[in-house]
Amino acid sequence: MTINHHRAGQLLSAYLDGELLPREGAAVQEHLMECPACREEYERLRITKGLLGALPVADPPAEFWTAVRAPRSEGVGPRFSRLPSVLLRRSVWAAAAALVIVLLALIPFVKGTVDRLHAAEIGVDLYVREHALQMSTEPLTDRAYLGVVAGDADLVLAGEQARRGGAEK
Amino acid sequence: MTGHVLARAAGAVLLGLAAGALNVGAQVPPVPPARIILQMALEAPRLVDYEGTKVITVLRGDRAETITVAESHKRPERMRLEYVSPEDLAGRLIVDNGATAWHYEPRLNMVFEGPTLGGQLLSRDRTLLLRNYGVTALGVEDVIGRQAYVIALVPHHPGVQRRLWVDRATGTILRSEELDPSRGIILSAYFSRVSFSLNLPEAYFEFRTPAGARVFKMFTTEAGTMSPAALQRRVGFPVLIPPVLPEGYTFRGGAVSRFGNLVSVYLRYSNGGNLISFFEAPAGSIGWPSAGRPIAVDGRPARFVDLGYFRVLIWEQGRLRVTAVGTGPTETMVTAAGQIAAGREQALVQDVSRQIESDPATVQRLRGEGLTFPEVARTITLAHRLGTDLGTTIRFVRGSLSASDLAGRLGMPQETLQQTVQQTARETSSVPALSSPR
Repeated sequence: MTINHHRAGQLLSAYLDGELLPREGAAVQEHLMECPACREEYERLRITKGLLGALPVADPPAEFWTAVRAPRSEGVGPRFSRLPSVLLRRSVWAAAAALVIVLLALIPFVKGTVDRLHAAEIGVDLYVREHALQMSTEPLTDRAYLGVVAGDADLVLAGEQARRGGAEK
Repeated sequence: MTGHVLARAAGAVLLGLAAGALNVGAQVPPVPPARIILQMALEAPRLVDYEGTKVITVLRGDRAETITVAESHKRPERMRLEYVSPEDLAGRLIVDNGATAWHYEPRLNMVFEGPTLGGQLLSRDRTLLLRNYGVTALGVEDVIGRQAYVIALVPHHPGVQRRLWVDRATGTILRSEELDPSRGIILSAYFSRVSFSLNLPEAYFEFRTPAGARVFKMFTTEAGTMSPAALQRRVGFPVLIPPVLPEGYTFRGGAVSRFGNLVSVYLRYSNGGNLISFFEAPAGSIGWPSAGRPIAVDGRPARFVDLGYFRVLIWEQGRLRVTAVGTGPTETMVTAAGQIAAGREQALVQDVSRQIESDPATVQRLRGEGLTFPEVARTITLAHRLGTDLGTTIRFVRGSLSASDLAGRLGMPQETLQQTVQQTARETSSVPALSSPR
């Protein structure tokens, strides 16, 4: 690859910083060997960059940040206009999380209450069934009747409707 | 003349009637002692097979319900019950092999497998029954064309009375009635047809689950029995032991009952002919039922559920919900419940130990075995007088050991033992009685 004098002058700074592709770098190096003007320019650039690199890092003045922030705060108006929706979104998530926590905490209580109510409704049948089964160990009890009582309770405990019974006055 | 003829005719009729009466009298068999008849009735299920149709009329709520059932029995303890009426019961089948009972509900195609309905007759039951009931022979009556001895069983203390018609030939109870003095007859049952000496096939008493039926295992009470003290350690909540019960009732057994999340302690007390059950569960695990009517037990709110034959009393005590189930009169149940609700356990332990001059630890230990305070007093006093150990004395007081067996062990005439027992009962009668809850 060959490059002309003008193009070589444009690439000198990048060449010094090592930012060229290998074949571009080789082309600049070849041109410098043939062009005394570009070699002189190259030397000036190298000395300048060396001097700049040797300078100490200075803290910016306080007004600098004020100057930087002032235009930004004016220039980012649209971002601040989105703030309510962000806050709203965050609030919604926080509320949802709190609700989940409350629900999780309530599960044992709700389950306990449901179990308690269920136990209250089936308790009488359960206990009468147990009593009837134990009555069968009493020698003179009518077991055919105990079968009715225990059987009726079985149905209720299985979630079926209680037998109304063929009652008569 | 006419008058003379009439007089002769009347005389002939009277003679005929007298002869007829004598003839009937000749057909009536001599009535054996009532206890022998009762013994026949208790032994019959082990000796006789039968198949018949039974009609049961029972209190259900404030009404009466009549139930018809085809009942088959194969000795010693197998049973098959096929319910015929009323309509909402028709088709129900119960097959019991003496260890497990299967209840089949055809309209729902559901099977419930649970414990047997045919408990074995134990010597303890007989001892308690004879100890707590007076048995009287009332004569002979005809039941569906069969001669039956009629006996009455009346408890020595207020409670349900029974009348039994015992088949003279087989000992099978052909008819029975249960009478609550405060309510009248609460259950009557009789065979409208019965056949004996059958060779009922084994398969008739074996259950086969119908195709597609849902099967529910309903073994809600753990097998075996535990003392209240052992139950308390098992469940981790306090177990209340009835301090006083109607005279004759003694601790029959305790168990843990589980259904879903509901864990209850079950204590049962028997007098040999009837049962009172107590169920105790943490109040937080079971609410008040909507059924029943509100009443007060020792000033506490309670609910009374009158199912007719069975009656249920529910109250809250401490952090426990206590449920009593029984067949006795309402007042008896409420008074017994009031004794528990009064919660005087520690005071009574001290009182009783002072009265019978025993250490409170022994009284407390016997309470942990389920004995009521009067039983505790009798047990300790009798053990002291007879020189028996507490274990043996508890068995005697509970009816597991008969008076004749204990007298034999002690080498003592039974009459002397009876006198000692009666004297002890008299002397310990000042221990809290059911009639004085406070």
